Amino acid sequence: MSSWRTLLLRIGNKCPEYGGSADVKEHIETCYGVVRRELEHSAGDISNFLIECAEGLPHKIPLLGTVIGLLNLENEDFVKGIVETTQTRFQEALDSGNCDRIRVLMRFLTALMCSKVLQPASLAVVFETLLSSAATTVDEEKGNPSWQARGDFFVTCILSCLPWGGSELAEQVPEEMERVMVGVEAYLSIRSHNADTGLSFFEEDDDLSAGEKDFLEDLWDRIKFLSSNGWKADSVPRPHLAFEAQLVGGKAHEFGPINAPEQPEPLSQLSGVTYGREKHNAELRYPQRIRRLNIFPTGKNEDMQPVDRFIVEEYLLDVLLFLNGCRKECASNMVGLPVPFRYEYLMAETLFAQLLLLPQPPFRPLYYTLVIMDLCKALPGAFPAVVAGAVRALFEKIADLDMECRNRLILWFSHHLSNFQFIWPWEEWAYVLDLPKWAPQRVFVQEVLEREVRLSYWEKIKQSIENTPALEELLPPKGSPNFKYSVEDGREKTEYHAISAELSNKVKGRATAREVITWIEETVLPAHGFESTLSVIVQTLLDIGSKSFTHLITVLERYGQVITRLCPDLDNQILLIAEVSSYWENSTQMTALAIDRMMGYRLLSNLAIIKWVFSPPNIEQFHISDRPWEILGNAISKTYNRMSDLRKEVVSLKKNVLVAEEAAARAKAELDAAESKLTLMNGEPVMGDNPVKMKRLKSHADKAKEEEESVRDSLDAKEALLARATVENEELFLALYKNFSNVLKERLPDASKAQTLRDLKSSTQADEMAVDTDQPSTMEVDDENGGTKKSQSNGESGSSNVYNIGEKEQWCLSTLGYIKSFSRQYASEVWSHIEKLDAEVLTQDVHPLFRRAVYSGLRRPIIELASE
Amino acid sequence: MASLFKDPAKLSAYRDRRFPGTQEEFEHALQTSVTVYIGNMSFYTTEEQVYELFTRAGEIKKIIMGLDKNSKTPCGFCFVLYYSREDTEDAVKYISGTILDDRPIRVDFDWGFQEGRQWGRGRSGGQAWTVLSVSIDMFQQFFPQNLLLWADSLIPQKFIRLFFFCHFPGFSDFLNKVIRRGGYGKLVQKELEAQRQLVDYGTGSLGSFPPIMPPQFGRQGGPGHGGSHRQGRDFHRKRFRDDDRHARGEPPKRAYEQEPRRNSDPESRPEKNPRFRESGDSDEEDDEKKGKA
Repeated sequence: MSSWRTLLLRIGNKCPEYGGSADVKEHIETCYGVVRRELEHSAGDISNFLIECAEGLPHKIPLLGTVIGLLNLENEDFVKGIVETTQTRFQEALDSGNCDRIRVLMRFLTALMCSKVLQPASLAVVFETLLSSAATTVDEEKGNPSWQARGDFFVTCILSCLPWGGSELAEQVPEEMERVMVGVEAYLSIRSHNADTGLSFFEEDDDLSAGEKDFLEDLWDRIKFLSSNGWKADSVPRPHLAFEAQLVGGKAHEFGPINAPEQPEPLSQLSGVTYGREKHNAELRYPQRIRRLNIFPTGKNEDMQPVDRFIVEEYLLDVLLFLNGCRKECASNMVGLPVPFRYEYLMAETLFAQLLLLPQPPFRPLYYTLVIMDLCKALPGAFPAVVAGAVRALFEKIADLDMECRNRLILWFSHHLSNFQFIWPWEEWAYVLDLPKWAPQRVFVQEVLEREVRLSYWEKIKQSIENTPALEELLPPKGSPNFKYSVEDGREKTEYHAISAELSNKVKGRATAREVITWIEETVLPAHGFESTLSVIVQTLLDIGSKSFTHLITVLERYGQVITRLCPDLDNQILLIAEVSSYWENSTQMTALAIDRMMGYRLLSNLAIIKWVFSPPNIEQFHISDRPWEILGNAISKTYNRMSDLRKEVVSLKKNVLVAEEAAARAKAELDAAESKLTLMNGEPVMGDNPVKMKRLKSHADKAKEEEESVRDSLDAKEALLARATVENEELFLALYKNFSNVLKERLPDASKAQTLRDLKSSTQADEMAVDTDQPSTMEVDDENGGTKKSQSNGESGSSNVYNIGEKEQWCLSTLGYIKSFSRQYASEVWSHIEKLDAEVLTQDVHPLFRRAVYSGLRRPIIELASE
Repeated sequence: MASLFKDPAKLSAYRDRRFPGTQEEFEHALQTSVTVYIGNMSFYTTEEQVYELFTRAGEIKKIIMGLDKNSKTPCGFCFVLYYSREDTEDAVKYISGTILDDRPIRVDFDWGFQEGRQWGRGRSGGQAWTVLSVSIDMFQQFFPQNLLLWADSLIPQKFIRLFFFCHFPGFSDFLNKVIRRGGYGKLVQKELEAQRQLVDYGTGSLGSFPPIMPPQFGRQGGPGHGGSHRQGRDFHRKRFRDDDRHARGEPPKRAYEQEPRRNSDPESRPEKNPRFRESGDSDEEDDEKKGKA
């Protein structure tokens, strides 16, 4: 890398390239000096690289802007070129809806304005163009309010620029600035409040969120505060001020007009399915970047102004976005933001807010896990304690934490601990043992331990909780198989043991699946009947494949047909799953894995899995274990993954068809041209080019045609598969919601008594008063178990060792939580089948809490609820 | 914009000598591959642990454990195959350098698994550079705390081994003596044995990769004929080999891969390790199957 590149890249970092200096002014001078000398030879490279750096390292934009301002004094045309390129890229980003680029380039433009490179009025025009587009979108007559997400996004971008250039704009073009501010105010008054329903981290927030400010309203408050404070924000470096005297001599360039993207088609109706579906799509394309988690006491960030919080979040999110995949750079930029205050709490909160972001974070949770680990290593004195604080805070509120968030937290926490020797002060949480087995905190601890064991091994995890041995009770069983027909332990041998041994020998003797089937059908089935046969065959095959994942796959690959033969339909498949679950009863991972692979081989249908999950023994587990949910979740995600694979393949095949069509047409045209050409052949003019060339062209054209047909055939085939998969998908979701609706109908209190989750929670206390249910009251727990008091003093808060939600109510809460979570995760799929769901499941008489869970997962407007 | 700091074309510093093609082909293979190579694993790490960790980057198609040529037991590396390229990239980006089973593992794009690559390439049967020195697991038993510190500081295990090798040239001899005498080593063995089992891929009724497996002569023999270092490693293996092959009286092994010849037309065979096999795509006796439920 040549040195001007390095200097641009490292500007603002305390690093050897800048002689270890941290003085930003010096950096700018050094960098400018070097870049200026290179302008002559590599203007094009420099221009591109400057824009690339601005887009990729947005927190350095003010520094880069100042360097460009200085270059403007040297070479006007060069900088004019930068402005023009930026404009082209910005327009492209607007047209393609590239949110990140739109946002960052607007900040870049603001910095250019500050360095006198761009006319302030031009920037104001950009703002006004976007503002008017946003206002049109939310207008009920001219626009399409279901696309408010886009309007909100544009206005957020405008407001986001103001900390970087509000003061310059207010000073240099006060009238335009005033117009923008009034415009924003007006926009806020016509848009509707964007409730977080279905996307908030904590369940209780859903009920409250109506009164709270949404993201844009909150940002507007912060900006107004900033404005009243003379536009001074500590977290924004203003390096151009140091060069003000020089910069004013530069020529400010104009920014050509930009066009806001076209407005979406107006809708005939402002509610109903079409509206909801469009809103869903708009929110997918223009997602809200962050939702605040608020887990730390506000005092932790007291040095900051309201707007600083927003700015630091922007910096952090941009580093996470643009330095994804560069571990070292990402961590060092995260900890080295250009702000004059400490921000570890804000950093942790932002990271957790991303990890738990609903419906999904921009990157896989695994990425945030890695960043958190790296930060713990980069700031060993400060960060681990903050992370632990976040865990404690979330654990306190785990009962209200959204199910999806809770699951991500379990996966993250177990993984995090596995990278830090599984050290955690478990004694703080020992009190969960005194809670009923359905208490969310207790289930959380149990599931974290389960995941730890999977990442490590049982003894190791047992050792890690050594100082709280009582918690062993929550460890999963050691994961050994539970083989009914084992001959090793000297148990009594039955005839089934003999059959099992015989099958085992056949497998060792490499009998084919067909031979085994014949043997079963001729010998085993007639003598022992279906159920016993199934049990012994399935258990034995599982046992043969029990050594590892690969052994399992090998056995399924080889003897899958035997299972298909035994279990051709839904009902036998349910018995099959039961057999798998019994063989692997000690290992949730292996149960889930075996079922998952069997579904992959179509030995099991997803409908059979759903039916099994909703069978009584599993339903009983819904609130005390994640086991059935993991299996259910796998079945849905596998079906969904298959769908998305097919969709991708269809898209790429369609492209191939176009290419092949063009190629065929071109070859045909060449052939035609050659045919119509007159050639002198033996002195005679004949139609057609010379025969050798003709032959070649002919075969070329034929081949191209064939190619086209074959690509088209494979497209047809894939589309047929996709159509079939779509039907399967619809069946799956119908079955899922029907089952949910049924089990809830049996268990939810009467709709007249429980309209909201709060009603449901409070119904517990009433129950307890009336009848002494099977759950012991807290008093009894104290009597039976003297440890309660002790653990209370151990637990830091001490407040949590009573869990007064009854078993039945918790069952409902957990199940409703999962309904919401599945609906949200697969919202796009569910929306595409919504008419059928409305007709068959979400009917008039469905329980309001069930409807509410589905609707909020889909972010389907609640208005419809009220009107019913 | 990670590209600002990283040459995206340079996917792996490691160039496999056995790749049968040009450098460009090699790079292309890396850029499109859905296979990752995982190195520096503990010998005791199981497929299920690998599955639990790597499935967090996406659905896994296949895991292939790297095995010691001689003992047929895991020797510290493996391959994971995904269904999609994005998942593969995420596994490399987010898992490499993190800890699995107390060891910092490395994860690299791999040009694609081929039969035969599961065998360690070291002369004594294990993975080449691992074999150079005594197994880290051994040290873990002797110096557990120091090792944890090192593991935490993310110093490549390679260097730790080198360090030991340079500083205690007689160490492996010492180990062997201890082992032979049944001193501390024996205790360690016992404890380890109680805790963990090494999957032996050579035994059992479904040897997973036997096609080019030589007959397993000498497996019942005493500690190996390899270098002294290998003895240190074999020492583990021996403990955890559950010799059920013997107990169950398994017949001599035949090449498992012979079987597919029976229905050898590759087109008509259903997809292996499918994410979700097509419903029509069922096995040969489809027509005889009862109608849909």
